[in-house]
Amino acid sequence: MLTALDRSRSVAPPGFSRWLIPPAALSVHLCIGQVYATSVYKNSFVAHFDSSATAVGVIFSIAIVMLGLSAAVGGTWVERNGPRKAMFVSACFWAAGFLIGALGISTKQLWLVYLGYGVVGGIGLGIGYISPVSTLIKWFPDRPGLATGLAIMGFGGGALIASPLSRQLLSAYDSGYDPDVATSTASGGALVALFLTLGIGYFVIMMFGVANMRVPADDWRPAGFDPASIKSKPLVTTASVSAANAIKTRTFWLLWIVLFCNVTAGIGILEQASPMIQDFFRGGDGKSEVAVATAAGFVGVLSLFNMAGRFAWSTASDAIGRKRIYMVYLGVGMILYALLASIGDSVVALFVLLAGIILSFYGGGFATAPAYLRDMFGTFQVGAIHGRLLTAWSAAGVAGPLIVNGFLDAQGKPGTLTASAYQPALFTMVGVLAVGFIANLLVQPVPERYHEKTTGKPKEAVA
Amino acid sequence: MSDTSSTSPASVRLIVSWALVTVLLGYGVIETGITAAKLF
Repeated sequence: MLTALDRSRSVAPPGFSRWLIPPAALSVHLCIGQVYATSVYKNSFVAHFDSSATAVGVIFSIAIVMLGLSAAVGGTWVERNGPRKAMFVSACFWAAGFLIGALGISTKQLWLVYLGYGVVGGIGLGIGYISPVSTLIKWFPDRPGLATGLAIMGFGGGALIASPLSRQLLSAYDSGYDPDVATSTASGGALVALFLTLGIGYFVIMMFGVANMRVPADDWRPAGFDPASIKSKPLVTTASVSAANAIKTRTFWLLWIVLFCNVTAGIGILEQASPMIQDFFRGGDGKSEVAVATAAGFVGVLSLFNMAGRFAWSTASDAIGRKRIYMVYLGVGMILYALLASIGDSVVALFVLLAGIILSFYGGGFATAPAYLRDMFGTFQVGAIHGRLLTAWSAAGVAGPLIVNGFLDAQGKPGTLTASAYQPALFTMVGVLAVGFIANLLVQPVPERYHEKTTGKPKEAVA
Repeated sequence: MSDTSSTSPASVRLIVSWALVTVLLGYGVIETGITAAKLF
């Protein structure tokens, strides 16, 4: 069965439309993006397991850490075996994660959920995240930013689908559950049914992607595309750098810092979004102008900005250039953070707009990273290099919330904070973005000694 | 999972592929939009 998914049996025949590849990639990313929607059933988990919110939050943390680790460790395997086998393995792990998680819920064993959704599902996340990326870059050498933006937009969009879907499924499985009431919790049986439904449903959708995914033939080029045109662009290489060599270069680690800083800044807002908007508009009487339900709507709006930024900014990078677009993410991001800290509490609409654009830069940073890597290291092992770069995401996932929560804990108790309490954290994020901005300025082409030895033409990738 | 070389089945495959992801994404965007519009 798995042999049928080998790269050698996945080469597209002549006439195959490359526009089949983005929806194939999207069908994976839209499924694994569910990881951003775990807060929907968090309260139900807390009630069902009779545990703390922190203990339940660990499920998400394990999954994100496993995403980074499996992407880093499995990147070379993905390159070697091709996207179809990798997507199939990802689907198996992701679905198995839900099924093991369902077993953990039904037996009230939280550690089984850690193992299932966190560890097993997290491996599916990491492999699934990187598996279509290098293939997309090879199908769209003329527009790599658009191609990767489309796929990685799906990861942001996955939460938009999973959040309302999970609420509706929980309502269907438990008539006593009201998703519009913040304190309402679903029964254990409904949670088991939800996990089984999502696991099976996601597996089917991801198989659709596996069925349609193909790699281009070695000599394939898009109509009208001249590979020589790449040579005319500054900071775009035609050489090949292996993943093993890439991590020895200063360029890789500068890009690691760039992604780390961009994600740290964005995730700080994303993680705190709901209480943040309430705190920014808290009156002298201690009550916020923004209701709990409105804050939930704000989180949805941020998700839309996050998703749109992934596609729009990454696509724009094809025209603007990767280094310049990161100067926008980081440089304009610094200005927006400073504005948010100083005048963000004046009008709700201004607050939402500033936070929304910041989140669009956060998404854009994720989506543009593979194309930036392609520009610097070539297509040879760009998927494996991307996997290693994603360790920056794992690190930022710890650092961002730590910075924000650390400052807020020193300012007072949750529910009593005001806009001024956020200023130290937000100005710290300005500093974090400044570090990323400088790192991006220092990015230079990879020295020739790290290039693969070739016979004159760029080394063809194996994925 | 077999490939086809004739134009019509390939077009259908392309349309079905994009329709699937459009429906999924559209559902998410519309649901989120409705929630946000009600709340703001």
